[in-house]
Amino acid sequence: MTSIASQAQAETATPLPGLAEGLTDAEVMLRVKVGDESAFEYLVQKYRRAMVNFMYRMSHNAAVSEDLAQEVFLRVYRSRSSYEASAKFTTWLYRVATNLAMNHARDTRQERPENMVSLDEPNTETGTTMDVADGSLTAEEALVRRERLAAIRNKVQALPERQRMAVIMHKYQQMDYRQIADVLKLSESATKSLLFRAYETLRQQLKDFI
Amino acid sequence: MKCNQIRELLPDLAAGLNAVTPETQEHIRACPACAGKLEDIRKTMALLDEWQALEPSPYFDVRLQARLREEAAQLRAGWLHRIRIPALALALSMMIAVGVGLFRGDRSKVPPVRPVALEKLEPGTAVGDLQALDKNHELYADFDVLDDLEVQQDVTANP
Repeated sequence: MTSIASQAQAETATPLPGLAEGLTDAEVMLRVKVGDESAFEYLVQKYRRAMVNFMYRMSHNAAVSEDLAQEVFLRVYRSRSSYEASAKFTTWLYRVATNLAMNHARDTRQERPENMVSLDEPNTETGTTMDVADGSLTAEEALVRRERLAAIRNKVQALPERQRMAVIMHKYQQMDYRQIADVLKLSESATKSLLFRAYETLRQQLKDFI
Repeated sequence: MKCNQIRELLPDLAAGLNAVTPETQEHIRACPACAGKLEDIRKTMALLDEWQALEPSPYFDVRLQARLREEAAQLRAGWLHRIRIPALALALSMMIAVGVGLFRGDRSKVPPVRPVALEKLEPGTAVGDLQALDKNHELYADFDVLDDLEVQQDVTANP
């Protein structure tokens, strides 16, 4: 079983010197609380990729996802003095992240997507991306791939907010039911049901590509 | 276990996040509907894998550090701003208190003004002559008497 923490640990470069091994993230955060800047840097390095990816899948925009991920860490830093190790650090981190992502989604709901330019998403009219094309694919294969990718993004985006967050945490952040339930403040059985409905919807909506 | 209990476990099973218990395994083997559902969810998840992860840009850390520094500067500025007005008020009050204290202290320490003793001055000096004239006020009172004296004619001013 892969947990979000172990996944993040695997993504991390060498832990910062001076930080005792074997500390839980909550214990590291308690060191941040007493003013250990290197402990905060350790947590940033450990979770920055996970946060950028979570925000990217929530916002569909690379630049915005970095801004939002940075905002998550800023909020963690701001709240360090009031941190209590009553819950897992990742639960707290993802609660901050989901709140930010939801606020961002609500704030930008009125923005017309056609007015937004993204470097990594295909243009809805031309179907072309601004990034370098994958040279191993033929033009037709690349087109099919882009269509499939656009469908995945759109169908995930079209899910109800809580289902969307649950799927992103489950599928892309490798969080289990218990962790997702804690972040979304739901019961474990409600989370199971939420995820099952979400995957069922995606299966039906994406059946042409499966 | 019933099918609806098993189905809620399928996303975790398909993602490999939960160890399959022998009971669950037995049910899936015996129930084509649940086995089919598990396969569907696996295919859906495989499709979702095409949405690749995004690497943070090389500037992520630099920008985060800059935002943290900005945040710290704002906090310091906010702290200074919060204490500025009370500090100014306190400084002003202290200056007034010190001023009043000095004023009162000076007044209590100033020696009483003593009358200047008139010293006997040498005749011929301006002050001495004035004092002499002052003492001769009786003479001035009788000054008119001098007008009545006859002037001696044969006396010249500059012999």
